[in-house]
Amino acid sequence: MATAPNPEAGQARSWRQNRKLDQWIAFWSVPFFFTLFGLVFVPLSWMMPPRSPSSTTPLIVDFMRSHNLLVACVILTLAFGLAPVSYSCYLIQIRRMSVSPAFRYSMMIGAITGAIVGMLFPMFCFGLGAFRPGYSPAVLTMLYDFGYLAFIGSLGCFCVMWMAFGLAILLDQNNILPKWLGYYTVWQYVTELMAAPVWIAKSGPFAWNGLLTFWFAMTLYVSWQFIVYLCIYRAIKNQPEAELDNARPELQPAALDNGSRMGA
Amino acid sequence: MNDRGQRILLWTAPPAVALFALAYLLFPVFSPPLSPTLTPDQVAAFFRSNVTGVLGVAILCNLIACSLVPLFAVTAVQISRTASSSPVLTYAYIICVGVGTTAFILADYCWGMAAFRPDRDPQLTSLLNDMAWFFFIAPVGTIMVQNLCFALSVYLDERRDPIFPRWVAHFNVATVALLAPSAFSILYKSGPLAFNGALSFTLRLTTFAVYIAVMFWALLRAVKHQGHDRVALA
Amino acid sequence: MTDVTEDFTTGVGNSRPDADTRGHVPGDSSMWFFVVGDLIIFGVYFVVYMYFRGQNHELFLHSQARLSLDVGAVNTVMLLSSSLFVALGTVAARAGNSAEALRRFWTALAFGAAFPLLKMFEWIPEISAGLTPGTNLFFMFYYVMTGMHLCHVALGLVIMCFVIRNLKTSQPPKISFVETGATYWHMVDVLWLVLFALLYLMR
Repeated sequence: MATAPNPEAGQARSWRQNRKLDQWIAFWSVPFFFTLFGLVFVPLSWMMPPRSPSSTTPLIVDFMRSHNLLVACVILTLAFGLAPVSYSCYLIQIRRMSVSPAFRYSMMIGAITGAIVGMLFPMFCFGLGAFRPGYSPAVLTMLYDFGYLAFIGSLGCFCVMWMAFGLAILLDQNNILPKWLGYYTVWQYVTELMAAPVWIAKSGPFAWNGLLTFWFAMTLYVSWQFIVYLCIYRAIKNQPEAELDNARPELQPAALDNGSRMGA
Repeated sequence: MNDRGQRILLWTAPPAVALFALAYLLFPVFSPPLSPTLTPDQVAAFFRSNVTGVLGVAILCNLIACSLVPLFAVTAVQISRTASSSPVLTYAYIICVGVGTTAFILADYCWGMAAFRPDRDPQLTSLLNDMAWFFFIAPVGTIMVQNLCFALSVYLDERRDPIFPRWVAHFNVATVALLAPSAFSILYKSGPLAFNGALSFTLRLTTFAVYIAVMFWALLRAVKHQGHDRVALA
Repeated sequence: MTDVTEDFTTGVGNSRPDADTRGHVPGDSSMWFFVVGDLIIFGVYFVVYMYFRGQNHELFLHSQARLSLDVGAVNTVMLLSSSLFVALGTVAARAGNSAEALRRFWTALAFGAAFPLLKMFEWIPEISAGLTPGTNLFFMFYYVMTGMHLCHVALGLVIMCFVIRNLKTSQPPKISFVETGATYWHMVDVLWLVLFALLYLMR
């Protein structure tokens, strides 16, 4: 009787004793980060939706000198470390798959590259113009071009990530994530191909603010981003506790143990 | 065995720190730190008269930019030893280190560029200098998150014999608070928060130096006690 | 690492005699998800193309005249022939005749491989003549759409190689995998037919 576990205690177990706490903390940082990202890029600075490459110089200059761009840079500098956390949520699921570690290492390397060339560097291009008065319109236009091209035209780092991720899902025999998601991830790869023309067109549907290269590509990209995290939520939730890295009996928390104490 | 390699890597950190200290002391841009209020002409004049100093340090830092990576790599190994349900914190840590180091290298490139052709249009030289400062501040963001990941792994460590004493985690969380003000240097041209200010510059670099020293000690201890512990493949 | 072809077909069904495949969706059902989605993606491009063609009729007409209709037509024949042999090969595989299926798939592969080769004969002279994606809106559409399609062809050829390997090494053949590959290849063919009509033929 003394050793029978109390069924009530199991249900009332606080979130602090959740066996997968590290995964859940990492997971819930994602909507926080994405929301912050969205707020910074849209209502704060109006960087997005992207302005036209064929904007007139006075408009470009005016935009590039806006103080809000600096505020955006500060917020991003403080928060961009969360992007690696959001990528790690993919990586832990790929690790559960039956595929070679090379898939998650490829994704990791792509993530490292992408965070700089696709996020930090373009953000700074937008802040630099506003940091110090006295930069000529030519310099500001150059920064404007570089900022948008690096954001929207950063292709290869994400190509390898989505290829590795998509292939891993399709080849996985443990069915950690659904096969249709693997195919959807292949389209993520395709959105990178679709975005390539931004390095050429200055107007029309293929420019960096174009109907096809931005609006259509973003529709595919953003919806995938939502869906993949829904799938990852399910995957974390459904992971059997026996499979967890910390599932070894000597590590079970005291509440489920037969009274033997362990260090906090 | 497992811990010998880690110990070797850890002991590359003291020479690395010595070289970074040397670079810091020799870098004209840091002694005293260049004021953000200078006009482009003044900035250009500065680089024109400090070519050797700036280029010398830029080359040195180019070479030693990744020399603290082994220490961070050992940290990642120790994080993976903590008993949490997945390697999510290990992965986040590794990616943060990669990103932060890249930003540091870009800062180094920009200062090198500024000194490479000092007769450039002053606007461009000033822009390169600003770019360098932005990239020099950026790693603050990744260090903050990586330290939080480390602290979390310590707090969540369910082992009977935890890898790290809890105060190391508290210390890491404290560094986050001490480094955060630097990010605001983008908004201020003078005062303690500016790039050359007491909070953004002095406090930040001091915190980082103390942090490396503390982590070095803590990691040596953790590796020493690793024994024959199986390390999970991350 | 396990055999890739094993991975593709696990849990998706093995070969069965002809009669049993009636009434089932051929191939891996998630491949159909991919095919439908891909058709939609290209469909959006086709619609947008038509819209801009309407806005710039003269420009598009003149630019289209500079395309090599001959190479385009030959390529169409190549893909159609390739698809034909893929279909015949699938029939043979369903009947359990691996040897015949293998012959037909090799033929399909040969025809299919001609496509990228001929494309080079089309693109390289065009680029040398100064007709690049940046030339005008028509050429941007042309290169982007045929380029995306070419990537799909390349992937299809790779898939076909795996199908051929599967036919060689497993007895009886894994029908589901063969059908999945065939489905994908037929989609690639259909896309080309529409592209050919829109870019080359339409006046």
